Amino acid sequence: MADKMEVDAVNGEKEAETVGPAPDLPPERVIINNFGLIRQAVNAFDSRFTLRALRSTSTLRKSDNFAEAILQGIRTAFPKPNIGPRKVLEDMLPDSVKSAQHQQNGVASGGKEKDGGDDQQLPEIWAYLGVLVQVYLYDAKEYEDGASFSTNFVEKIRSWNRRTLDPIGAKAYFYYSLFHEQLLPLPPSKQSPVIEIRPKLLAALRSAVLRKDNDTQAAVTVLLLRNYISTADITQADLLVAQTQFPNNATNNQVCRYLYYLGRIRAIQLSYTQAHEHLESATRKSPTNGPAVGFYQQATKLLIVVELLMGDIPDRSLFRQPSLETALYPYFKLVQAVRVGDLQAFLKCVGVNEGQFRKDGTYTLILRLRQNVIKTGVRMLSLSYSRISLRDICTRLSIPSEESAEYITAKAIRDGVIEASLDHANGHLVTTPQRDAYSTTEPSEAFHARISALLGMRDECVMSMRYPMDKHKQEIQEAAKARERERELAKEIVEGEGDVGDDDDGGFEGM
Amino acid sequence: MVGLTSAAGLVGFLAEPDPVLQAFALERLNEEIDSVWTEVSGSIGQIEALYEDDTFSHRELAALVLSKVYYQLQEYNESMVFALGAGKYFNLANAGEYEETIVARCIDTYIALSVLDNPAVPLIRQKRSSEFLDKYTQDANAPATATASQTSPILPFSHDSLPSKSLLAQGEEEGDPRHARMLDPHDVGGGHPGGSGAHPNPSTLSGAVKKSLHAIVRRLFESCYDVAAYKQVVGIAVEARNMDVLREAILRSSQDERSKGKKVATGQTDDLMEYVLDICMNVVQERGLRNQILQLILNLLNDIPSPDYFSIARCVVYLNEHGMASKILRELVQKGDGRSLAIAYQLSFDLYENGTQEFLQKVVEELPETEETDKTDLPTMNGNAVRPIVHPNEAATSEESDQLLRELQESSGPPQTIVASRAKPEAGSADDAKAFASVKSILRGTKSIELNVEFLYRSSRTDRAILNKIRDSLEARNSIFHSAITFSNAFMNAGTMIDGWLRDNLEWLQKAVNWSKFTATAALGVIHRGNIGQGQKLLEPYLPKEHPTAGAGSTYSQGGSLYALGLIYANHGTHVLDYLQRQFAATQEEVVQHGGALGLGVAGMATGSEQIYEALKNVLYQDSAINGEAVGLAMGLVMLGTGNLKAVQDMIQYAHDTQHEKIVRGLAMGMALIMYARQENSDQLSNGLLDDPDPALRYGGIMTIALAYCGSGSNKAVRRLLHIAVSDVSDDVRRVAVMSLGFVLFRKPGSVPRMVELLSESYNPHVRYGATMALGIACAGTGLEAAVDLLEPMMKDTVDFVRQGALISLSMILVQQNDAMNPKVTFIRRELQKIIGDRHEDAMAKFGCALALGIIDAGGRNCTISLQTQTGNLNMEAIVGMAVFTQYWYWFPLTHFLSLTFTPTSITGVDQDLEIPSFKFHSNTRPSLFDYPPEQEVKAEEAPEKVKTAVLSTTAQAKRRKLAKARAEGMDVDPTPTTPKADGADAEMKDEDSNVVETGKEEEKKDGDKESSRKKVEKEKVGYDLENMSRVLPGQIKYISFPQDGRYQPVKKPTGGPILLFDTKPGEEKSLVELKAKKKTSPPAPQPTTGRTTANGGPAGASGLGEVLGTGGAAAAVGVLTAVDEDEEGGEEAPVPEEFEVEEDDDDEEMEE
Repeated sequence: MADKMEVDAVNGEKEAETVGPAPDLPPERVIINNFGLIRQAVNAFDSRFTLRALRSTSTLRKSDNFAEAILQGIRTAFPKPNIGPRKVLEDMLPDSVKSAQHQQNGVASGGKEKDGGDDQQLPEIWAYLGVLVQVYLYDAKEYEDGASFSTNFVEKIRSWNRRTLDPIGAKAYFYYSLFHEQLLPLPPSKQSPVIEIRPKLLAALRSAVLRKDNDTQAAVTVLLLRNYISTADITQADLLVAQTQFPNNATNNQVCRYLYYLGRIRAIQLSYTQAHEHLESATRKSPTNGPAVGFYQQATKLLIVVELLMGDIPDRSLFRQPSLETALYPYFKLVQAVRVGDLQAFLKCVGVNEGQFRKDGTYTLILRLRQNVIKTGVRMLSLSYSRISLRDICTRLSIPSEESAEYITAKAIRDGVIEASLDHANGHLVTTPQRDAYSTTEPSEAFHARISALLGMRDECVMSMRYPMDKHKQEIQEAAKARERERELAKEIVEGEGDVGDDDDGGFEGM
Repeated sequence: MVGLTSAAGLVGFLAEPDPVLQAFALERLNEEIDSVWTEVSGSIGQIEALYEDDTFSHRELAALVLSKVYYQLQEYNESMVFALGAGKYFNLANAGEYEETIVARCIDTYIALSVLDNPAVPLIRQKRSSEFLDKYTQDANAPATATASQTSPILPFSHDSLPSKSLLAQGEEEGDPRHARMLDPHDVGGGHPGGSGAHPNPSTLSGAVKKSLHAIVRRLFESCYDVAAYKQVVGIAVEARNMDVLREAILRSSQDERSKGKKVATGQTDDLMEYVLDICMNVVQERGLRNQILQLILNLLNDIPSPDYFSIARCVVYLNEHGMASKILRELVQKGDGRSLAIAYQLSFDLYENGTQEFLQKVVEELPETEETDKTDLPTMNGNAVRPIVHPNEAATSEESDQLLRELQESSGPPQTIVASRAKPEAGSADDAKAFASVKSILRGTKSIELNVEFLYRSSRTDRAILNKIRDSLEARNSIFHSAITFSNAFMNAGTMIDGWLRDNLEWLQKAVNWSKFTATAALGVIHRGNIGQGQKLLEPYLPKEHPTAGAGSTYSQGGSLYALGLIYANHGTHVLDYLQRQFAATQEEVVQHGGALGLGVAGMATGSEQIYEALKNVLYQDSAINGEAVGLAMGLVMLGTGNLKAVQDMIQYAHDTQHEKIVRGLAMGMALIMYARQENSDQLSNGLLDDPDPALRYGGIMTIALAYCGSGSNKAVRRLLHIAVSDVSDDVRRVAVMSLGFVLFRKPGSVPRMVELLSESYNPHVRYGATMALGIACAGTGLEAAVDLLEPMMKDTVDFVRQGALISLSMILVQQNDAMNPKVTFIRRELQKIIGDRHEDAMAKFGCALALGIIDAGGRNCTISLQTQTGNLNMEAIVGMAVFTQYWYWFPLTHFLSLTFTPTSITGVDQDLEIPSFKFHSNTRPSLFDYPPEQEVKAEEAPEKVKTAVLSTTAQAKRRKLAKARAEGMDVDPTPTTPKADGADAEMKDEDSNVVETGKEEEKKDGDKESSRKKVEKEKVGYDLENMSRVLPGQIKYISFPQDGRYQPVKKPTGGPILLFDTKPGEEKSLVELKAKKKTSPPAPQPTTGRTTANGGPAGASGLGEVLGTGGAAAAVGVLTAVDEDEEGGEEAPVPEEFEVEEDDDDEEMEE
C-alpha cells in the first residue's frame, strides 16, 4: 500500500504537457533552472511557479546521476563551502558522489561563482534542495538517515512561517511521514514509529490552520488520516475528519487522497453509500496513467469491493483498461464469483488471493462479501424463476439446510434486494412480477444525477480557469490604432481639400 | 512513556465519581492534549461540568483543558473565555502558538469591550442637523425627501444599513447594533461545523472574566512598557478608544526617558508623539475620536517639560484652539532667548500654513498690541517700490491705499537690515514688541508670501519657446484657443511676476474679446499672485474707476481685474477686501459684478465675514444669470468650511426659487464649499441635495461629499460616490462622482488607479473623463507610475473631452518630474507638443493640451501641485482651488483657480531676524535626479508672414479705438507715444522682439549645454550643496541635511517652505541673500515718459525680459485690454464669440474707411 501511495508523490500526470524544463536537459540544469522559478514565485508571490519546479522531481529522480545533480545544485546555490545550510544538505549525500564531484566541480563551480554569489539565499531554495535530498534518500532506501534528516528539516521549515514556502513544506512533511513508515516495526504494530510522529503532525496541522497555510494543512490532514488508518485507529481518524475542515482550495492530488481515506474509513464503518461516493470521486479525480497509476489502481480496487458490498456489479469495461487489467485480475475473478452468486467460486477465489487482498488492505472487507454472494444468488434465482422451492435454492446456492435458505431469502426480501414473498406453507419463494422501470421516476433520477455531476464538473473547470491579465487592454489598444489609421485617412482627405479651401479664401479676400 | 495513542481511557476516568481520578485524568489530558484532542472533544460537556462544579479542586485545570480543546476546534472565543478562567494555569510567558492566539483574541475582545464602554461621541449634537433637516424639507417643498433620505433603499449608507468595515470607522450612535454584529461569532470564529454551543459575546461576558481579561491586557501593556514598545500600546489604546491608556503610555514613555537620562537616545517621546499624531490624523477617520485624542495630546504636551511645539501647533490648528496658540506664542516670545524666538517664528509659519484666515485672525487679535515704533524708517528700508506713486486716478483711493500701505508696513516685519552690525541689544519690552510684530506679520502670511514670491521670481525657468509654440499653433481668434493660451501663460508664470510674454504678444492679446478679455486680465492676477506689495497698483489701470465720468474701459477688463486682484491676494485678503467690496457694491455692470464676486470669494476665502456675505446675497437676489454663478460660488468661498447653517438655508431656498441653471450651479458649488472638511456634519445636506430632482443640485451634493470628506479616505464616502457614479441618470452627476474620488482619496494616491481602473474603461465618456480627473487630483505631483500607465492610453480616447481630461491629469501628475525620476516624462512632453501642433485635433483636446503644457511647467517650473501641506494637513487653499478649477467644464474663467494649488517647492532659511542669510545646505542625491527638465529646443518653423498680416489690421484697429476713446473722454492715456508705434514700427518691432527672444534663447541653450555637460562629468558624485532659497522638490526633502557645524541650525527637521534658522554666532557679520523681487519695480500706469523706452535691445534671459519690456508693454497691454469691444451690446449672453464676428468688424472698419 505504501508503495502505491508513494508513487503519486509528484503530479506526474502533468509532466507530459508541461512546457517547463525540456526532458533532454541534464538534471543539474533542471535543478538550477528551478531556482529561477522559485525565485520568481517568491517575488511574484505566486505558488504556481513553485509547483512547476516541484513537478520536475519525478523525472529528475529517475536520472542516473541524481545525487550528483543535487550536489551541483547545492553548490550553485551556496557557493561558499563551509556554511551551515550547505553542510546540512551535503552531509546527506554519499561520500563517493562528493569526492567524484569534487574534481570536476573545481571548474564548474568556478564559473558559477558569481551568479549564485549572494549569501542570503532564499529559504525556499534551500528547502527545495532539502526536498530533493529527501527524495534521493528515499530512493536510496536510507530510511534511518532520512527520518532523522527530515525531522530536523520540517522543524526548520515550520520555524520560518513564509507563505511562499508552503508548497515545499507540504512536500517535506510528506517525505517525513514516509520515512517513518518505513522504519521497523512496520505500521500495523502498535510500537511503530508512526505513532510517535503524530503529535508533531498534529502540531503542524494547528500551525498550518493558524497561518492559513492551505498546502500544509491539506497535506498534513491526509498524512494524519493515513497514519491513523495504518495502525487501524479508525475511530481517531473519524474524529479527526469530523473535527477538522479540509481546505477547500487544496490541490487536486490532496483532495484525491483525502477522499480515498475518507472512503476507506466509511467502508470500514459500514456506510457503503458514502464510501462509494468518496471513492468514486477519488478515482475520477485521480490521474489514470503515468507514475501515479498506482493510486488509481488502489482506489479502484477499494471501489470495486465497496460496489460489491453495496450489491452492485462493476462494469466489465473497467477491467479492460490497460492500466488496470493485470492489477485487477484477482478482483475480476472475485466479481465474477459474486455476479453469479457462486459461493464456492467466491470462497475459492478468496482463498487463492488472500495474500494479495491482505496486501491491498481489502481482505476484511472482502470477507464481508459472503453475505452478498448469497444475496446475489437469491436475486438471480428470483429473476429466473417466478416461483422456486426452498429446496432448489438450497441445492443451487449450496446452502446446507432449508431453514437457513428460508432465513436468507427472508432477509433479502426485507433488505429490498428482491421483490418476492415466501410461501411458508409450501416452502416456495414467489417472485412478484417486475414493474416497468420506465413507469417510475427512476430513469429521470438517474439522468438527473448524471447531469448534475457533469454540470458540477463544468463549473469546477470554469472556476479553475485562469485568464491572462490585461488581455482586454490589448483590444483597447487595437481599437485606438484603428482610430489612428482612420484619422490619418481623414487628415489626408482634408489636406487635399485644404488646398482648394485656400484658393477659395484667396478669392474671398480679393472681393 | 511514549505519547498516548488513545485518550479513550482517560476520558473514561472523567466520568468516575472520584475527584482524584478526574483530576488525574485532566492532568494527563492537559499534557497530551495536542495529540488526543479529537477524542476529548466528545466529552467537552463533562469537563465543562467539572469546571462549573465549585467543589472540584482542579477547576482551573479543567478550564485550561477546555480552552485548549476549543482552540483546536478553532473556536477561539470560547477558548479565550476558558483560558481566562484558567487563572494561574494559563501562562502568558510560554510563547507558543496557543498562547499567542489567545492573547491576540484577548486584545481583540478588549478593544471591542472598550469601544462598547466608550462609544464615539457625536461631534455636534444631532439636534442641529435634524433641525436643519426639517428646514430643508420645508424649503424643498417635498415632504418626502426627509423620509427618503433616511430609509431609501438605494442609499448605501443610511445609518443602520451601513456595515462597518473597520473599527476605526465606527458610527456614532450609542448602542449601535453594529457593535453586536461586529462581534458576531461567525465573523470571527471561523464557524466550525463540529463546534456547537453558545458563543460568548464580549458584551455578555461575566464580570469575573472581564476582570481577568483586563488583568491580562494590563500585563501585556506592562511587558510592552518594559521593552519600551510604547507604540504597540498606543495602537491598542487608540483602537480601543481608551484615552486613559493612551495618556498613561505617553507619560510612561516620558518618565522612562527622563529616568534613563541621557543614556538613551532622546526623542523617544517625540517619536511617540509623532506616531500618535500620525495615526490620529491619517488612520482615525472619525472626527470625534480624533478631537478627543488631539485634546489629550495637547494637555499632555503641556505637561511635558520640553514640549514639541510643532506637534502642538498641528493639534492647535486642528482643534481651532486659537487661545492656546496665542498663549504659546506669547510665552515663547517672552522667554526672550534667540532659540525660543526662532521657534515662535517657525511656529507662526506652521500656523499660517495650516490655519484658516479666520483662525489666524483670532490668534493675531489675542497677541498683545504692538507699537509701531519704527514705522517711519520702514519705507526707505523696504525700498521705495511700495511707496505710492500718486496718480491722478488714484486720488480717490489714495487714502485707502495709504491705509493699505500702513498695514503692509506693520506686517512686513522688522526692517531689512543690510548692515549686520545694527545694534541688537535693546530694551526687553521693545524687543518683545518687535517680535510680536514679526509674529503677526508671519501669521498674516505676509512673510511667507513674500518669500514665495521672491523664490519664484528669482528662480523662474519658464520656457518661452513652449508658449510661443502654443501661440503659433492655436488660432487666437477662436475664443477657446485664446483662453487656452492665456491659461497656459498664466500657469507657466504663476506667481513669478513675469508678465513679459503678454507684453511681447500684444497683437495676440488684442484678439481677446468679451470674456476672453476678462480671462486675460484675470491672468495678470495669477501671474502676480502673492505680489501683495504692488498688486493693486499694478492692476490700477484696469480696475473700475471711481469717478463715474472717468468710467472708461471695457467692463470685461474691469471685471477681470477685480478677479485678478482677488487672485493676487488669494486667501490673504485683509488689504483688499474693503476695496473689492466697495467696487462690488458700487457697480451695476453684471460683468464687473461677476469679477468682483470671484475676487471677493478668492481673497476673502474662509473669512466667514457676514458683511461680505450679505453684499453677495443682495446681488444674488437680482437674479442675473451672468453674475449669479460667480456670486453663488463666492458665497461658498467666503463661508468656506464654516458649515454656516443659515447660509446653506438661504442658498437652498434660492436655488429652488431661481430659474437660471447657472445660478443653481453656482449655489450648489457654494454649498459644497461651505461644508468643506465638515465630514459627518455634511451628511444631511448631501443627502438632501442628492435626493433633489435637479441634476445641478445633485451635482452639488456630490461636491459636498467630495469637499466634506476631502483627504479623509473615508470608506463611507467612497462607497457612496462609487454607487452614484454608476447609478445616477445625469452624466454631469456621474462625471463629478467619479472625479470626487480624487478628492476623498488624495492622501492615498496609490489606491486611486486601482479604484478607477474599471471606470476608466466605462462606455460612458463622462465617467471616463471623471476617472482621468480623479487620477489627476489624487495623484497630482506624485508622478505615480500606475496612474500614468492608466492615463496614457486615454490620451488617444475616441472622445475629445476625455482626451482633454487625460492631458490635464497627466500634466498634473507629472508636474516637476524629470527624466531621472520618471522616464515617461519626455515622452509625454513630446506627445503634448505633437497634439498642440496637430491641425486635426479637436478643439477641446487642444484646449486641454495647452492647459497641460502650462500646468506641467507651473510657476516657472518651481511649483508642484499638492492638496496637502508639507506637514500633512489639508491644504485648504489648494483643495478649494482644485474643486473650483474642475468647474472650468462650465465656465472657462474658473480655470484660474488652479493656480491656488500651485505650491512653491523651496527651502528658505530665515534667521531669527527674519532675514534670509546666505548659506548652503546639502542634498545627498545626484544633481541630475531632481534637476529641471531640459529647455525646449527652438525650431525655426514660425510662419512670420501669416502673423504679420493678422497683426497689422487688428493692432491698428485697437489703436484707433483707444485713440478715439481717449479723445472722447479726455482720459489721461497719452495718445502720442502709442500712435506712432502702432502705425509704423509695429511689424518691425515685432520682428525685433522675436529676435531678441531667440538670441536670448540661444544663449541660454548654450549655457544649458555647458551646464549639462558639466553635470555629466559630475554625475558620479552623489551629494551637492544648495544655496539658501533653492528649489527642493518634495521627494528631495528627505535627502536634505544642514551642515552640522554650520553657523545656522534649523529649529526643526527640514521640510519645504520657510525654515527658521538658529544663528549660532549671532555676533558675527552675516551675508544676506539679495532680494530681487523687491527690487523689481512694477510697471507704473502708463505715463508719457516711459512709453518710448520699449524693447530696443536689452539683456536677454527670462527674468530680465519682464523688467525691460515691462514698462512700455504694460501701457500697450492696458490699452489693449481696456479697449471696449464694439460688439459688446450683442455679445453679453454669448461668452464665446464667433470667429467671423471679428472679421465682420474688420470689414466694417474698412468700409468706414
